[in-house]
Amino acid sequence: MRIAAGVDVGSTQTKAVVMADNGDRAILSRALVDTGANVRKAAENAFLAACHNAGIPPTDVGFVVGTGYGRYNISFGNAQLTEISCHARGAHFVCPTTRTVIDMGGQDAKAISVGSDGQVLDFVMNDKCAAGTGRFLANAADVMGIGLDEIGPLSQRATRPVRIATVCTVFVESDILSYLAQGKKGEDIMGGVHLAIAKRTLSLARRVPIEPDITMTGGVARNIGMVRALEEVLGTKMQVSPDAHFMGAIGAAVFALEKMDQSFEFSTWRPEHAAGSGH
Amino acid sequence: MGEAKHTEYRGSIHQRQKELMLKWYERLNEAAETGTPPTASLMISGNCVELLEAFGAVPIYPEVNALQLAIRHQSLEPILAAEELGYAPDNCAYVKADIGCYLKGITPTGGKLPKPDLVLCNFVGCNTYVKWFEHTAVLTGSKLYVLDVPFLREDDPSQADIDYVVRQLKELVTLLEQITGRKFDYDRFVEAVRCSAQVEELWSQIKHLARRSPSPFDAYFDAITLMGPLYVYRGTQEGVEFFRAALEEMQAKVAAHQGVYDQEKFRLVIEGPPPYPYFRTFRDMFARWKACTVASTYSTVGGLWEFGARHDPDHPFESVALHMLAQNVTNRNYLQRYEQIRRYLEEWNADGLIIHFVKSCRLFSAGQGDMRDYVTKTLGIPTLYIESDLEDPRYFAEAQTRNRIDAFFEALEHSKLTAKAV
Repeated sequence: MRIAAGVDVGSTQTKAVVMADNGDRAILSRALVDTGANVRKAAENAFLAACHNAGIPPTDVGFVVGTGYGRYNISFGNAQLTEISCHARGAHFVCPTTRTVIDMGGQDAKAISVGSDGQVLDFVMNDKCAAGTGRFLANAADVMGIGLDEIGPLSQRATRPVRIATVCTVFVESDILSYLAQGKKGEDIMGGVHLAIAKRTLSLARRVPIEPDITMTGGVARNIGMVRALEEVLGTKMQVSPDAHFMGAIGAAVFALEKMDQSFEFSTWRPEHAAGSGH
Repeated sequence: MGEAKHTEYRGSIHQRQKELMLKWYERLNEAAETGTPPTASLMISGNCVELLEAFGAVPIYPEVNALQLAIRHQSLEPILAAEELGYAPDNCAYVKADIGCYLKGITPTGGKLPKPDLVLCNFVGCNTYVKWFEHTAVLTGSKLYVLDVPFLREDDPSQADIDYVVRQLKELVTLLEQITGRKFDYDRFVEAVRCSAQVEELWSQIKHLARRSPSPFDAYFDAITLMGPLYVYRGTQEGVEFFRAALEEMQAKVAAHQGVYDQEKFRLVIEGPPPYPYFRTFRDMFARWKACTVASTYSTVGGLWEFGARHDPDHPFESVALHMLAQNVTNRNYLQRYEQIRRYLEEWNADGLIIHFVKSCRLFSAGQGDMRDYVTKTLGIPTLYIESDLEDPRYFAEAQTRNRIDAFFEALEHSKLTAKAV
């Protein structure tokens, strides 16, 4: 049995997945930690926790692929790949009929067109702006004084969603305060916030061919309000796995297994390459 | 994949380019200190530098000054100075860097830049540039002459358009005689036009060598190095000699089957100017994938010579006018720009297109979303769209740019591998 791992070091959270290949590939365990200031440590902690959850010593893991913004800081990783490739591969592993991935993370929103074998055909990402990302929702939740896990269900109770004109993560605060001052209900404000992001994400996703099946990945997929708002503007249902948050790490683990099998000879970077960056 | 930093092609032309550019700055410094030779500010695209050459005048290119500052990581200070004066954050950053230089007395080499004897605005399809040169004239107290070069309304300029520009060029001759106190030397003008035609022919041959695999040079990053002498020395014998040597160097590389990297893995076309404040970093992002640019639109801002256009010493005024109208990438319509890219992708045998959107240049960047759609959907060629700025370092996010570029190559590599397997 071959065992491999994927570690996805995101801007907010770090995810690790251990997978085994015994003829069939299967997820053995998952782990999730806050990234915090020490990216290297977060990657290590997530990996060790995933090994612990799988009941195996880290030395049993034959290959580790790192992904996410902190991928070059994974000192124990054997290879690095972007989360774009990994989310596509992860979504294909979990939902093989996936042709479009909508990934919403802490500071990124992306739409990825996926081939029948899980390869990336095309992708678009948000500009250098946090509009349409998890950070936007986190800011909105802060202003409302409620938890991030509460805003999705709250938005589902909206009967007359307010119109949020701005998609600026900073300026949305004043929009929300203004609606609160007008006595608008929290659910209607949150309904408006989710719809605003959904519309922005749709305009992004339209730049790649949006073809069924659409799979949503990333931490924001845990927000039921965001899932429903996106389905409303897309006019179709999406596939949302309970593992949506781990999709980048799952894809990285699949790549790691393939690397062990030598079935796919992809190029990889070592951390020391990143250190050689110019400027 | 191996370490690729600084392993790409560095030839004797790179050193010679440095010497020529330094010599140009020395001449400008001399003009600043002694008042001679006479100088004139003008723009790169579609200019009439041959006319200046006829008077022994030296061109000052504010765009070159701006990009030289950016490459040296010195562009933010003048940009901020211009913003303090009232320029908006989304104004052209070239303009702000140049205006800020005048305000702060900054120059790329630390030497002096002369007050131009003439601010010569050769309109390049960019209204912002007209305002830029107007402001330069105000700041320097120099005389301003604005050439009215019509927009291309059809694929080629009409004879009436050419005649209209020729009349202005002849008016400019009279003005230059007054300003420089020198008589117009027609023979020298014809000789400058002849030199330009030779430089263009050599440059065109060099660019066609990039059709070979491996390409002997990077037609974006190395081409940018060559673009300095291309603009500053176009109408001169020095320019001819430089490009003859460059061609010979490239031909020798082709004969020896030497590419930019030990192994050329990807062939690219790049659209748009580079992020000059992060030029080295940006190049490394491609170098580490051994991705060689084989053609670029930015290297044609001075003229589309690889498709056959040349100055003509038998019709010097007309050919300069035609150059100003038609050999000016930003004065050309979008369908022509699409066609240019299609030819590059197909005839230079490229794997993909990179579009670099420049935040502060609507002229170059507006419509690039449609361009991406055309290339991906109509031509079926992978395209990456990245955004920053050519001059303002505040718009460049290294991690995000690297992420997009890495993801693009991961996908491209996968599709090449699977295509090979089939």
